[in-house]
Amino acid sequence: MQLKTSFLVALVLSAIGLVSWELYWRSQGYEPTLDDNKHLWAVERDKVNTLTANDVVITGSSRVLFDIQLDEFEKITGIRPIQLASAGSSPLPIFHDIVEHTDFNGTIIVGVTPPLFFSTTFPQAPPWQRPQSRVDHYHKRTYANRVNHWLSIPLQENLVMMSGHEEDADENIDLKGLLKRVKLNERTGKPQYPPFFEFGTIDRDRNTRMTERTATDTAFANVIKNAWKFIITSEGPPPDVEGTTKFFAADAKKFMERGGNLILVRPPSSGMFKGGESKFFPRDKLYDELVSITGAHSYHYEDYDELKSMVCPEWSHLSAEDADIYTRVLAREMMKDNALTKPTN
Amino acid sequence: MLFNSLSFIVFLVVVLVLYYSKLFNWNNKKRMLLLASYLFYAMWNPPLVILLWISTIVDYTAGKKLAVLENQRQRKLWLLLSLFVNLGFLAFFKYGDFLLENFVTMMNAVGMDFQAQPMDIILPMGISFYTFQTMSYTIDMYKRKIEPARTFLDFALYVTFFPQLVAGPIVRAKELITQFYEEKKATTQQFLWGTFLLTIGLFQKIVLADTLLAGTSDDVFGSRAILHGLDAWTGTLAFSGQIFFDFAGYSTCAIGIALMLGIILPDNFKYPYAAIGFSDLWRRWHITLSTWLRDYLYIPLGGNRHGITRMYAALMITMLLGGLWHGAAWTFVIWGALHGIYLVVERLLRNKIHIKINTWNGIFLALLTYTCVNITWVFFRAREFSTAKNMLASMFGLHEGEKILQSFDIIKVFTVITILFICHWLMRNTSMKAVSLKTPPIVLGIVWALLFILICIAQGSGEQFIYFQF
Repeated sequence: MQLKTSFLVALVLSAIGLVSWELYWRSQGYEPTLDDNKHLWAVERDKVNTLTANDVVITGSSRVLFDIQLDEFEKITGIRPIQLASAGSSPLPIFHDIVEHTDFNGTIIVGVTPPLFFSTTFPQAPPWQRPQSRVDHYHKRTYANRVNHWLSIPLQENLVMMSGHEEDADENIDLKGLLKRVKLNERTGKPQYPPFFEFGTIDRDRNTRMTERTATDTAFANVIKNAWKFIITSEGPPPDVEGTTKFFAADAKKFMERGGNLILVRPPSSGMFKGGESKFFPRDKLYDELVSITGAHSYHYEDYDELKSMVCPEWSHLSAEDADIYTRVLAREMMKDNALTKPTN
Repeated sequence: MLFNSLSFIVFLVVVLVLYYSKLFNWNNKKRMLLLASYLFYAMWNPPLVILLWISTIVDYTAGKKLAVLENQRQRKLWLLLSLFVNLGFLAFFKYGDFLLENFVTMMNAVGMDFQAQPMDIILPMGISFYTFQTMSYTIDMYKRKIEPARTFLDFALYVTFFPQLVAGPIVRAKELITQFYEEKKATTQQFLWGTFLLTIGLFQKIVLADTLLAGTSDDVFGSRAILHGLDAWTGTLAFSGQIFFDFAGYSTCAIGIALMLGIILPDNFKYPYAAIGFSDLWRRWHITLSTWLRDYLYIPLGGNRHGITRMYAALMITMLLGGLWHGAAWTFVIWGALHGIYLVVERLLRNKIHIKINTWNGIFLALLTYTCVNITWVFFRAREFSTAKNMLASMFGLHEGEKILQSFDIIKVFTVITILFICHWLMRNTSMKAVSLKTPPIVLGIVWALLFILICIAQGSGEQFIYFQF
């Protein structure tokens, strides 16, 4: 057996194959990106354990993830927040984890996306399960998990073929993602989830910005809107307003009693989302009630002239430029109200 | 640490560099391997390395005593101590919650209102493997079949050798410890063959098990609906492929990595889905466990030396315990029981029917065996009896059921499983090495490259190997 020859052939062909693969996907417009996965989230979550009362943590769903820009926030407040928001998630499990498993008594900004915030406290429901799985991963992660993540960062940042997403996005180019693109005849008789693509990029500290393409290419934004439309019009369990409010209020009370500063933020939405949210999650009955029960500071975009007419390109998140503006206004208002103060060192 | 992870690649490179550097003599190389093995284990959960240490110290001491003591009663006590510690670990860590749960059910069944707090015991990775491995040492020492380990270092490395620590192969002392006595260095051919085996193993795990089959199997067994027959069969076949590729993939990686260090580990799988009958299956599936169960359970229970009834009883007990070895749940016991029944029925039939195996009846019988094995996999994979019951009812067309799989998923699974079966049939009486010897080097290189590229494209999310939980 001439294994040396075989090995050399394998080495050369593998190198040619993988370089070609990388170049092919780059030629298709793909760029290396970090994945917003549970490992990246866990790194940020870990930082909460050492924060002081001057620090700020953000949690919520994708709206505060996209809309609050950490650089802008830092410029105005002098504080770089820890970003723990999780897309498609209720903020309750993560907020609960911080309250229950840390001594943190600084500021927590909780993003309120009404359909997710008031959705459920049922552990198996996706809006709960998704963030809870991140919390669980954080508490159970092994040293091997940490090292793997640390080693994967440069690969993700430099190679398109290593930039797969934890979520099932349609642009995934790993083998599983490519096989998922194969569609033969539909046999389940169930409505199929429309194509969905990532529309933001994330940094190592989870600062997330909408891509230029989403903000400017209407056709691409419409693809995302179709996915939202599918979610909005799908049949699902009714929101559990009472249960979620009660659950959050109990945690809020505990957090504020230990000196924590709680800020509720309601970021903008547009189009079908805005219409649905106004109709099924009326502000006065839900959001305002939540603010009143918790006694938290509140920043609803409709209360500010500079924010209330903002338009989300795909109905739910702000473009990178608008997110900068939104963050500046938000931070300025928080400072003005003394909801936040510059750290004194 | 998982073989299919970036950290392991770095770990292996560092170990190989240190192993082949001129920095250390053989003893220090073994020390380095031992430390690396503890690090390999500790990267998952550091405190549980203590269990490895206890097992190592107790069994090394027991082995030493068994080698010198003549008094039979004292020898028995040392053996019992070793069994007590190892089986005690298993009983507490693996079966603690299961025993408590069944105790509560029993109390409630006899009318006593008794509730217990679940103990939520963490299951140390690979505990069933390393405890069985060390027990084989003390039992063999007790039977005076082997010599004691020459040094504590040799024994500690035998217990902890990282390639096979968490999921086997379960290696006997005489096969492994003796290899540590003299300096080992892989030849170039061995090193490259080890690298090829590592590639094959990772391909089986990352591409075949995790990428092509796991999703369908998880969807089917995770569904709460009563399923359409085709979906139930597809899910079961997917699991049969997934568990084979997952476990055989691990074993192949382990054998390959050890070979890169110049250490030879025994085969653990020999194309089991081409088995004709169940005795043949157990000579091909998880060979090191089945031979362990044969030598340390079936034969001590009487084997075939005390008449037919006793033999069948021994067979059933062995398979029931073999089932329970895999997991602390009654579904695993049923899995073992079914295999026990298959073996008994096969022996009964073999006395009455004599078939000369040719290609066509061989394929038919192999397919029949594989179909029966799939029925057992339903119990192995299902978390609850109700799931297993519904799956089997669907598979045998007892209800219409819901279609949850897309056409492509079904085609994908049937394609992979058909290729798997054909490969196993063709490889039935040969080995990968023999086939590689006949393959032109360039063709082998092309295949090797394809496997490696597919591993890189599949990436994988570092899914844990199924057998780690056993």
